[in-house]
Amino acid sequence: MIKTIAKPAERKTEGCGECRSTCQSACKTSCTVGNQSCERVTREQKIEKK
Amino acid sequence: MLHIFTYHDHFYLYDTGSGALHECDEKTARHFKGEPVEMTDEEIAQIAQLEGEGLLNKEEVKAYPMKSREIKALCLHVSHDCNLRCRYCFADEGAYHSARETMPFETAKAAIDFLLQESGNRRVLEVDFFGGEPLMNLGVVKQTVYYAKEEAAKLGKRFLFTTTTNGLLLDDDAIAFFDAEMENVVLSLDGRPEVHDAVRKTVSGKGSYAAVIEKIKKFVRSRGDKHYYVRGTFTAKNLDFSKDVLFLADQGFDSISMEPVVTDIPDLQIREEHLATVEREYERLCDEYLAREEKGEGFNFFHFNIDLEGGPCLSKRVSACGAGNEYLSVVPNGDIYPCHQFAGDKKWLMGNVFEGKLNGEIRELFASSCLFTRKKCGDCFAKFICSGGCNANNYHYCGDINTPYEMTCAMMKKRIECAMHIVAARKSREN
Repeated sequence: MIKTIAKPAERKTEGCGECRSTCQSACKTSCTVGNQSCERVTREQKIEKK
Repeated sequence: MLHIFTYHDHFYLYDTGSGALHECDEKTARHFKGEPVEMTDEEIAQIAQLEGEGLLNKEEVKAYPMKSREIKALCLHVSHDCNLRCRYCFADEGAYHSARETMPFETAKAAIDFLLQESGNRRVLEVDFFGGEPLMNLGVVKQTVYYAKEEAAKLGKRFLFTTTTNGLLLDDDAIAFFDAEMENVVLSLDGRPEVHDAVRKTVSGKGSYAAVIEKIKKFVRSRGDKHYYVRGTFTAKNLDFSKDVLFLADQGFDSISMEPVVTDIPDLQIREEHLATVEREYERLCDEYLAREEKGEGFNFFHFNIDLEGGPCLSKRVSACGAGNEYLSVVPNGDIYPCHQFAGDKKWLMGNVFEGKLNGEIRELFASSCLFTRKKCGDCFAKFICSGGCNANNYHYCGDINTPYEMTCAMMKKRIECAMHIVAARKSREN
């Protein structure tokens, strides 16, 4: 049997460009784009929580 | 495409088209591997249902229209000099194969003007103060931050600043300034004292651990809830690097990154024969990471983060780091390169901030380069997560920004599997 662990939201196609450039995060050598969250969505969620 | 993998006794299915992660039993995993197993009607119906919901065997995006973008980030090499002489330094121990020099404010100012002018409609811009050691030129860093904020405000934009430092010159003044102005600070520390000291040496050849540890700890204590990363490098000399990550966590650091070295120095380079050890080490780290989390002693390891339910947009997933396109590096004389790892290599010189015009050919090469121009990535499960790897790593190891280096890929894939297992373990704990 299969248990779904993570159901992704529909991937937005066009980037708004408001997120940080990947290389600025921590590594400077082996960036992993997909380990980031969409910063705009994260920001909006933070505002909603407040 | 479906990636079937195991982590200890767990079986996972990762659907690259949708990005969904599932856990299954061994029989189902074998079924998807094409082995002859008998599936029940109920099991077949469940597979059909997941396929219908677009969570299994979903068709992948195969192309994306890449284009030149506005510039949104600059890496400012404020110091092509360093107070350490780390053996593995990609930047020629801070000098970038040229004279040791620092960036004058006039150059930094011109770089900020250039970024503001080239940033189009982007509202959030970034500047990363880099070196060598940026704290050797703290005065210019401060001037640049104040100037950039003032100019951005006039245009309704704002800056996020980052500094990467070895911590040797972190005094109260620098700490207060960083806390006030830096969105993120990356602090270089390799882990256990003997590991750190073997490669991160002062100009006189002494290990630097004792000289930096208390300063970095003090800084992190003052940081509050602002971002920082303690960032280490592991080499062939410490393939047991999980001990270094855990050592850093034991020192009270809760935001840690540990990167495989990028070097061709024989005794430091990570080679194919090390791969199995490195993979086991990631698993060891992952197990302990989860164990500590369960005890309420968790920390954040950069590469074990993965946002499977949200994550970046497709545009970002296929265009990777944006080097040479929306992210550029500026060296002390104002010359522009695609990123810090190309700095000083005249082949990749794109222009100068005092002239403003960029080399169209190099820009076009980077702007058009994406996941789909990296042929090796086509059948890789990790492609929408790693985006085809680091342009500079690809170039330095394979001679082409579009050819990923297989060792880097293998380590990346292992980290991603660990990250996925962590997501599943957390879910299971919640339930």
